[in-house]
Order: sequence, then C-alpha cells, then structure tokens
Amino acid sequence: MKQDFENDEWMKGVRETGFTTPLHYFDELSESINARISAEKFKSVIQNDGHTVPDNYFEKLQANILAKTITEDKQIVKPKVVRLWKSSLVKYASAACFLLVTGIGLYFNKQSPAQQSVTADSTEQMLYDIDEQVIIDHISSNDLAQPKPNAADTDLENYILTNYSQNELTTSL
Amino acid sequence: MKQVEDSEILEKFSNTKTRNEAFNLLLNKYQQKIYWHIRRLVIDHDDADDLVQDVFVKVWKNLDSFRSDSQLYTWIYRIATNESITFLNKKKQRNNTPLDEVSDELAETLVASSYFNGDKIQLKLQQALLTLPEKQRLIFNMKYFDELKYEEISEITGTSVGALKASFHIAVKKIEAFMLNEDITF
Repeated sequence: MKQDFENDEWMKGVRETGFTTPLHYFDELSESINARISAEKFKSVIQNDGHTVPDNYFEKLQANILAKTITEDKQIVKPKVVRLWKSSLVKYASAACFLLVTGIGLYFNKQSPAQQSVTADSTEQMLYDIDEQVIIDHISSNDLAQPKPNAADTDLENYILTNYSQNELTTSL
Repeated sequence: MKQVEDSEILEKFSNTKTRNEAFNLLLNKYQQKIYWHIRRLVIDHDDADDLVQDVFVKVWKNLDSFRSDSQLYTWIYRIATNESITFLNKKKQRNNTPLDEVSDELAETLVASSYFNGDKIQLKLQQALLTLPEKQRLIFNMKYFDELKYEEISEITGTSVGALKASFHIAVKKIEAFMLNEDITF
C-alpha cells in the first residue's frame, strides 16, 4: 500500500524543522552555482596569470629588504650613556651643594619682600606728612590742557601757500 | 621543506637575540606571496618591487605591536592591499585620470611589459580583470589566484563573507561575458 507522505502529519513535522535561509537565498543559489562552475572552467584552462620576474629576483628582493630593515637598524649606533655619579662621595657632595644653594636662595628670597615693603611704607608716610592743600594747589597749578597753536589755521595756510611751491608740497607729501 | 609556523616566527621576533632570524623566516615564508598579490593589482614589476619592500619595512617596524587577535598573514596581506590601493589612487590623482583610464594604462603596461609571457588566453583574462572595479578585481585575485578562503579575504578587506561571494560571482560573470565577446569559450 502506497503511503501518502505529503499529507502525513509526521512528514509535516519533519518539514518544519526550524531551519531558515537568508532572504532570496534560493533565487541567488543557481547564479552562485553557475559562477562557481565558470570559475572552475577558467581554472582548468588558466592556472597562472602569465606575469614573470627577472632572474634571481626574489634573492635580490630579500637582500634589499634586509638592507632596509635589519642592517639599517644595526648601523644606528646607540648613544653611550655616561653615569653622572660614579662614586657615592660625588653623589653626596652634589646633594650637599644642591641643598646649600637652595637654602641660600630661599633665605635671600624671604629677605627682599620685607625690604620692598619698608620702601613702600616710607613713601606713603612722606605723602601723609605733606599738607593736603599743598598737594591740591600743586595739581591745580599744572596746566594739563593741550597746548593751543599760536597762529590760526588760515594764517598757517596762507604762510605755506606763499612760501612753498605746489611741486615742493607734492613731493614732501 | 617544512614551513615554519607563524607562532614560532612571532615568538622568535619577541626575543631581541632571535629577532633577525625571525624576520628572515618571515621573508622566506611570505615575500613571494605578497609580491604576487601586489603585482596582480599594480601590474608593473617595478612598482610591485617598490611596494613589496615598503610593505616589509612596515612589517619590520610594526611587528612588535602586532596583536595575535588576527592571523599574521592576513595582517601582512592587509598592509599589502592598503599600500597597493593607496598607490593606485595616487597614480589616478597624479595623472588626474578617471578610474577606467587608469585601467587602460594598466592594460597598456601589461602588453608592453617584458615581464609578461602569458599566452593569448592569459592576456585576455588579465585584460578582462582590468575592466572590473578595483574591489572586484582584488577579491577575484585573492579567491582565484591566491586561493584564500572567504573568511580570510573578509579579515583582510573588512567586507562580509556574503558581500564577498556576491562580488566574486559578479566578477566571474563579467569575465565570462568579456571572453565571449572576444570569441573565447571554455
């Protein structure tokens, strides 16, 4: 008896296995297979690309690369490092000198602001000692306005026009 | 002769005493593969010679910082690919020529080259390849001539495997059409 597999419930279960394929996979599959077959056909006729190199090229290439890498690195001589403190005596003497210089520097640095403040204080005291009216008179007696020209602008213009030619004026301007 | 493993090369390179030996091993293993990869892209032997040297100088300088999260050879291939594409772009900018004319120039170089001894079909395949966009040509070369896996090409180019497959199939179809147009059938 021939069994109807298509409509069999068991077969339906087998068909719905949960596997999926990318979108349009089966549309593109035949094209992919054809392309693979074409590539295989090319390969059976054309194994290599036909390019060649000069004789012993790869031996020379390796030598050239090594000259630019390993050999070049060897030629760069590393600078010799000279130790600054060979003995502990020099090391401690250097430290002592450093402390001494720093100490002197700090001492004088603390001294100088005090002197500056003393000078500023004495100047201020001098101003307090002068009478206020004397200072006001002194400021008001000074003419701070701009100096006015003695001659009027028209007089000056006339003087220039009478004493200088137009050529002289053009060249000087 | 048994080929040395990449892990051994890297281990030897990390030791200053065996660094030079490691680099020699690396050159023995990869210089020819990288040369041919570059040569197929730039066509001219002298250009390929300059580029392959630049690539290995870069490898020498940066191998210290190489992280083993990618394979050594895919890292070297990536440097070589980037150098070659940069070179082709510079050539295009220098001559102020559009991409298809650069392909014409490369095709002329191929015919005039004294370092090409391919037969008629090999020449036609190279000419067909030069009609492809740069990336399709790159992918076709790596799949067809270098016989790299899609996963490896993906690591080198940073393109998904699906996109690589599609590019390769399109390239094959275009080459097939070019060959048919030239009355060459397989």
